[in-house]
Amino acid sequence: MSFIKNFIEQETLNRRNFLLASALGLGGAAAASLARPSIARASIADPTIAWSYRDRTNPYWNAIASGGEAFVESLGKPKSALVQLINEGSSEKSLSDVKALLGKTDGRLALAIDANDSPNGRPVVEAVAAKGAYVSTIWNKTDDLHPWDFGDNYVSHMTWSDVGPSEQTATILFKAMGGKGAIVGLGGIASNNPAIERRHGLDNALKNYPDIKLLDYQAADWDTQKANAIMASYLTRFGDQITGVFCANDTMAYGVIEALRAEGLAGQIPIVAYDGNAQAVDLVLAGDLLATVSTNPYWGGGVTAALAYYAAIGAFKPSQEPREHREFYGPTILITKAEAEDFKKKYIQSTPSYNWKDFWGPSKGQIMY
Amino acid sequence: MSKLSGRADLQKWAPLLVLVALVVFFAVLNPNFLSVRNFARISISATAPLMVALGVTFVIIMGSIDLSMEGAVAVCAVVFAWVFLALGGSLAGPGWLAVPLCLLVGAVYGAVNGAVHVGLRIPSFMASLSMGFVGIGLSLLMTGGDRIRVEDPTFRALLTERYFGFPLMVHVALLVLLVAWFIQSQTAIGRNFYAVGGGEELAHASGLDVRRVRIAGFTIAGVFYAFGALFAVAQIGIAETATGNNFMFASITSVVVGGTALWGGSGGVWNTLIGVLIVNVINNGMVVMGLPRYIQDGVLGLLVIIAVVLSTDRRSLSLVK
Repeated sequence: MSFIKNFIEQETLNRRNFLLASALGLGGAAAASLARPSIARASIADPTIAWSYRDRTNPYWNAIASGGEAFVESLGKPKSALVQLINEGSSEKSLSDVKALLGKTDGRLALAIDANDSPNGRPVVEAVAAKGAYVSTIWNKTDDLHPWDFGDNYVSHMTWSDVGPSEQTATILFKAMGGKGAIVGLGGIASNNPAIERRHGLDNALKNYPDIKLLDYQAADWDTQKANAIMASYLTRFGDQITGVFCANDTMAYGVIEALRAEGLAGQIPIVAYDGNAQAVDLVLAGDLLATVSTNPYWGGGVTAALAYYAAIGAFKPSQEPREHREFYGPTILITKAEAEDFKKKYIQSTPSYNWKDFWGPSKGQIMY
Repeated sequence: MSKLSGRADLQKWAPLLVLVALVVFFAVLNPNFLSVRNFARISISATAPLMVALGVTFVIIMGSIDLSMEGAVAVCAVVFAWVFLALGGSLAGPGWLAVPLCLLVGAVYGAVNGAVHVGLRIPSFMASLSMGFVGIGLSLLMTGGDRIRVEDPTFRALLTERYFGFPLMVHVALLVLLVAWFIQSQTAIGRNFYAVGGGEELAHASGLDVRRVRIAGFTIAGVFYAFGALFAVAQIGIAETATGNNFMFASITSVVVGGTALWGGSGGVWNTLIGVLIVNVINNGMVVMGLPRYIQDGVLGLLVIIAVVLSTDRRSLSLVK
């Protein structure tokens, strides 16, 4: 009779295995859906919105964050609904903050980010895509990383080409000098992309003006006080030879102007800058600064968050958009005395109200490599 | 014996000799260096760092270290600018009240710093470094990342008005330097700093309340940081969180280069004056002679080592930490 006993035993085992297996199967399916929600989830109803950037002290990043807050308010949420991840210039912190927030929100996240440096772009995007969240990037990514390689989850990348605009400001400077004379230059942190591009723009302009001499060009690291000290030393070294100053951003130009003011030379030597900060626009109006360039960081901060958000809630499908809507140049606005009054009215005195669904209106075409 | 005192004399005067040698060196390379206008430029850029360095000098004489200056300067600058503008934005009006308030904020900041170090028995290195971060965060909270512009012509006269070829702020800074010298040499607390730095157990055994002396040292340092903040705002016309940037390395370097030993008990405010001038002459001179930036940092580092080797007596030390 042992075969009966064997049969019963086998059936019990099978049944147990079946129960175990089905339990495993159900759990496994649940686990799989947890780990890879991108398959199950086409859109996210109410995603957390976050901006990850370097440093709020800097007027540029401050404007980016303010734009992000304005976008969040346009959704009827308080400013505090925008989660701000500040990486303090560390790519490691940038990535770990993003991963922590992905974990906390379980991938229900619309992220706008500057990855701090180019190599950090890929791990950030991969982490976001693996969790089925949505990300839009600005400035830093490597040339081989493209939104269209990640379906819908990597929504867009925006950057600004500084070569052309800085060539324009340099040309304005040279014209103001009457096409001849000598300038000194102050650059940003030597390894920064914008610092390199802005120097490149200056070099391009110099080629068209053979009678303009570049006396010296030193990195003042975007820093007001360093620029102040370097400009004072330039005055000792070159004295009256200096008839123009090229600054790679506004904050350094403030230091230069104060160094000239200390010598009673304020307003006598033409200076050009970059970034279009509110104070710089006032200086353009006062005649202390010849020109600056705005990249409209306020709009950039808002629209980058908007792209990630509207893609996340399924308002549009990034993968159905053309490539110039996935990788594009941001706007640049040249501000000389002629435009300053108008610019101030439009962008500084009244905070412009943007249509945050007009993602690509102000942009300047697809990024060229 | 005479040989020994000869060596001690040389060490005492070494920082000044280094300064003179540097001036001669840069003057030979570019005669423009040796002009009143350039000395005025060097002194303008040295004014705020001198104040901060004077403050930390007292702390270093006690054998402690203070790394909170960047936060302290940022907080003092922002509070000053904020109150100054709230009171009408003119030194000629009630805005002058912002100046004593700024000094008071510096004192409170320093006192808290000292209390954290002494009361919680945290090494001054760690306590002050943390307090510096607290200050940066606090000033960021107050400004929301914005810059506050101070354009009052009366206040900015510190930079724009010149007497004997030097801006007003340089003359005011010299007065503050004399006050620092007075504290160091003419007051009991000044002598107590040396007593604590020279041998804490001995000072304690002689009945000195070492804990109170330490807190007093950090408080006085805070007041000098506030002076540094005022001059930094006068120089640039902007108060912001970044006003405090770069002060930590510059001030500690200056104190050490001037011949005040990091292990305490020696040196003083005149050493610090020479140290600050050395660092600023080097910075100015390297641009004047046209060295590229990436070489400048390296040269500055090397010169600091040379200056410390020349100016401090390390033979009596059994241990260097």
